[in-house]
Amino acid sequence: MTTVSLQTTPEEQRALERFYFHEARLLDNRQYRQWLALLCPDISYRLPARTNLMVDNRQRGCEDMISVERELEGADSLGCPLREETYVHLMLRVERAFKVNSWSENPPPRTRRIVGNVELMARKGEALEVLSNFHLFYARPGSADFLYSGQRRDTLLAGSDGYRLRQRDVVLDYADINFPTVGLLF
Amino acid sequence: MRVADLVNDDASLISRRCWADQQVYELEKRGIFGRAWLFLGHESQIREPGDFVQAYMCETPVILARGGDGGIHASINSCTHRGLPVCRASHGNTRRFVCPYHSWSYTVEGDLVTIPQESEVRCKPDKSALGLKRVPRVESWRGLVFGSFDEAIIPLEDYLGDMRFYLDAFFGRFPGGIEFLGAPHRWVMDANWKLPVENQLGDVNHGAFLHAAIIPREIQQQIEAIGYSAVTAPGHGATFRLMPEDAPVDEVAWGMEGMGAILGTDEVRQYLRDVQAQAAERVGDLRARMKGLTYGIYPNLSFLWSNTSFKVSHPRGPGKVEYWSWAVVPADAPDTIKQTLRRNYSSFFGPGGILEQEDSEVWVQQYRGASIDFADDRPFFYGLGLGEEAGHPQLPGLVSVTANEFYARHFFRRWRDDLQSVEGGQ
Repeated sequence: MTTVSLQTTPEEQRALERFYFHEARLLDNRQYRQWLALLCPDISYRLPARTNLMVDNRQRGCEDMISVERELEGADSLGCPLREETYVHLMLRVERAFKVNSWSENPPPRTRRIVGNVELMARKGEALEVLSNFHLFYARPGSADFLYSGQRRDTLLAGSDGYRLRQRDVVLDYADINFPTVGLLF
Repeated sequence: MRVADLVNDDASLISRRCWADQQVYELEKRGIFGRAWLFLGHESQIREPGDFVQAYMCETPVILARGGDGGIHASINSCTHRGLPVCRASHGNTRRFVCPYHSWSYTVEGDLVTIPQESEVRCKPDKSALGLKRVPRVESWRGLVFGSFDEAIIPLEDYLGDMRFYLDAFFGRFPGGIEFLGAPHRWVMDANWKLPVENQLGDVNHGAFLHAAIIPREIQQQIEAIGYSAVTAPGHGATFRLMPEDAPVDEVAWGMEGMGAILGTDEVRQYLRDVQAQAAERVGDLRARMKGLTYGIYPNLSFLWSNTSFKVSHPRGPGKVEYWSWAVVPADAPDTIKQTLRRNYSSFFGPGGILEQEDSEVWVQQYRGASIDFADDRPFFYGLGLGEEAGHPQLPGLVSVTANEFYARHFFRRWRDDLQSVEGGQ
């Protein structure tokens, strides 16, 4: 991964942030079907699992010793990501929200997403690789409150009517999960 | 509080105190977790010398490791000097476990090899007596490794008993057996450990109700028509469908109804058909038609065949549970097929699963109900199907329809016996 974001224009940076703020507002307002319209039909939506690893003594002094990447069990690994989803999965999640038997979220939870640190990292034709950070506050009815913190590694497609999300890898900042679910739309 | 008052004789009435009482929990630790075979891990997780994974026996942290001798070792993860965990990683490979405090170091087998301060004192400690405490009994069957604190416990194979018939209906399909993929998914819930266990021991009938947002009604109708619940010994159980002899291969084959097969390639579906084509030869005609749902092994191991996951419910007190689950795949499948089939698990189960979020919620809510005051005269009703189970000509154990709650009644009768055996400080 490159360490410095691309030089971009204020207009493009603003357009990316508008996209993410709009997305966050749709999700917090429970307008999930409108959120689905922001996705490419071939979307890949993944949450790597994160583990507590022993540091390798032979790598001491090197960045690799404590790199984030080595803690992740992602799609390419022979571990098991927490989630590896397609449009079908996300559609099921969205439709579930509008059914009475979605018992863990009926009555619905209250959420608030704060998205920041939006960085355009690469441009490959129409595809943009964009990083962003989020804090998601989640209050389930009759339950404790939870704060989810993480990074999103997105691929967006730029079209004439705005951006579409083609890939999202969500790196949660937890190996020990104290939440009732990580099945949210991050 | 007397244990005899918590569960009535036919176990159709279960006291709320069984779930939410600190005294009961202390009895469970000694009477159940101090004496049963407890699941530690799978041999596929520790293939090479020095490989280790963490495990728990109730709240006791354990290191399960492959030794330099190729043997399997289980030691309590606590330094003999000041008690700190000597292993802080969930898994890995190492030559030594080193305590952070004074750098006492241990081999993966648990032997103490270095006391750095030793050279400065005249009286040298006997290191051979100061190794990590070993789990006194460790045995494995079909790659599943169990440990017990009870040196006198019966052999693991006898403990599993006829559950081996049902487990082999799955394991036996694959020439190389199965393997666990990666580190377990672990999450903590404010619930009692027994409810996730009960859920997987035989409670398939909540599916069409709790999960009605996702599970279609036809699945419930199929389970009612061809579903069985079997209890091979109290606390051990299996639920499964027995498909008709003329059912098409795509309906019988394991994995075909999972997200991996539905969204995967033709190669994946052909692999699953090929497995099924050999099933009768490998596990016999009857078991080739079995399409498993949930399995439970006393006290806290579960196997969800339909979504191919092993799970352990680790108590953290009466009101907290750390639930672990792994994706399980055929060991000899190509890597790309393993990567596809793991989604049969993660799509619906685990901390991110579409279905399991509802389960987690009801387990938390049940604990609330179990904790309330002024309702001790309303024990939970476990009487559905009382006495309706019976022997079966082909299937081991007591067998019944899945709506019969006998799996839970048998669990609680064993639970009561186990707690009574240590009641009164015995």
